[in-house]
Amino acid sequence: MEINRLPKVLLIFLTLFLIQEVLINQINFLVAGFSLYLAFFMAWVIQDQRNSAVVTGFIAGLILDLSPTLDAPFGLWTLVLTSMSYLLSSNVRAALDAELSPLVLLSVAVLASSFALALFLLFGAILGQEVGSASYLFRSISGNALWSALLSPLYIPLAMKLYKVTLTARQR
Amino acid sequence: MATRGSNRSRLLWVSLLVTSLFIITLDLRGVSLLSSLRSGTQSVLAPVERLATRVFSPFGDFFSEVGNLGRSKEKIDKLEKENQELKSQVIFNENTLAQLESLKGVLDLAGKARYKTVSARVISKGGTGTFSETIVLDIGSNSGVRRDMTVIAASGLVGVVKSTTAASSIVLLMNDPSFRIGVRVAGKQDMGILLGQGDKSYSLQMLSARSAISVGDVLLARGSSGDRPFVPGVPVGRVSYVENTVGQLTKEGRVNGFVDLNSLSVVSVVLSAVAGDPGDALVPQAPRPAPTVTVFVTPSPSPEG
Repeated sequence: MEINRLPKVLLIFLTLFLIQEVLINQINFLVAGFSLYLAFFMAWVIQDQRNSAVVTGFIAGLILDLSPTLDAPFGLWTLVLTSMSYLLSSNVRAALDAELSPLVLLSVAVLASSFALALFLLFGAILGQEVGSASYLFRSISGNALWSALLSPLYIPLAMKLYKVTLTARQR
Repeated sequence: MATRGSNRSRLLWVSLLVTSLFIITLDLRGVSLLSSLRSGTQSVLAPVERLATRVFSPFGDFFSEVGNLGRSKEKIDKLEKENQELKSQVIFNENTLAQLESLKGVLDLAGKARYKTVSARVISKGGTGTFSETIVLDIGSNSGVRRDMTVIAASGLVGVVKSTTAASSIVLLMNDPSFRIGVRVAGKQDMGILLGQGDKSYSLQMLSARSAISVGDVLLARGSSGDRPFVPGVPVGRVSYVENTVGQLTKEGRVNGFVDLNSLSVVSVVLSAVAGDPGDALVPQAPRPAPTVTVFVTPSPSPEG
């Protein structure tokens, strides 16, 4: 990632974190809650180059770890999002067309955020966290997937637009 | 070239993974810098959350009402009609009235048990990415709130204070999967442990297989030494199912909590239990059946008679 892109990326994810903590968390969603932060991150990182995707994953994870209601060890989301960003930018991106359609971005956002939540639970369980009953976990992950799909017309165009804004002239 | 680029990004990835593992290790070893980062974030977020609650709380239930669209339509029609009628009158904020009702209920409960409490508004909730059931209150250590204090609502237990900043505190709700509380059956001395499951029902493990417990029994908090984290006597829930398996060392069951944790607006933090254990004084009264109206019909005398 080029150094002059970093402040823009940081600002975008900090703003998104604020929106998630202050607004989205206030809403009582049907089935289970929705993580705009995760869905937006997945839609963002799939468009990115491998190196900058990994750095973005690390930064986004660190920001998410700041969540005061989080009970998991600090750094767990950093680990998960760094891993996810590498997986998406190297393995998944290679299997997709050069031009990403909104439908592909939607599928990636829904599936990857569900996978990230599952990975977070797995790493958390390994570190001795209480993970809850299977029905609770299933409801949480499927609820998030449902809302990530339903609200995709709101955040996917935003993720595409903001991603282009952060690119340098040379990268465009 | 491609291989060199690929190796470089793999190296970057591995080094960032190692860094995150290093951060996790530091946190697990109790480095205070990392935990103070989270409480610092909470201090920054609390004023914004307070403002957002004021503006946003009337719309908070919109997405949970999606499943009730048909019923909501009828409700909207009815409300629109009522709205027209109310235009000439003073309109009270429904949200504020509901909060006042909750506050009255919780103060009644605290008064009955002579708990010294401080009331608070719920300004935020834990998100999906946290997998922990929490709420954020608009009061903190400046109001006397400390870690491990009991939090109650009008109908019973809500949870326990997990952490505080000067002007906000985070409460672990009783439905969190890591939540455990010692309970006793009201009117009896049988004891058990209630476990959060992440949803509306709870799992109950009695300490003895010979515990006399049945569906409909009320469970109360047993209390902790020094009243922290739990003051005794707070209603927790009602037994909805008892598993009768022969040969088990303990008796197990399911419990429905008294408090709807999804619609909390005002709660109270118990600072101390002034009068000690209130015993069964807080057991909710069973709803009384409505009296049957008997109408006696006396035949009126016919005009011919």
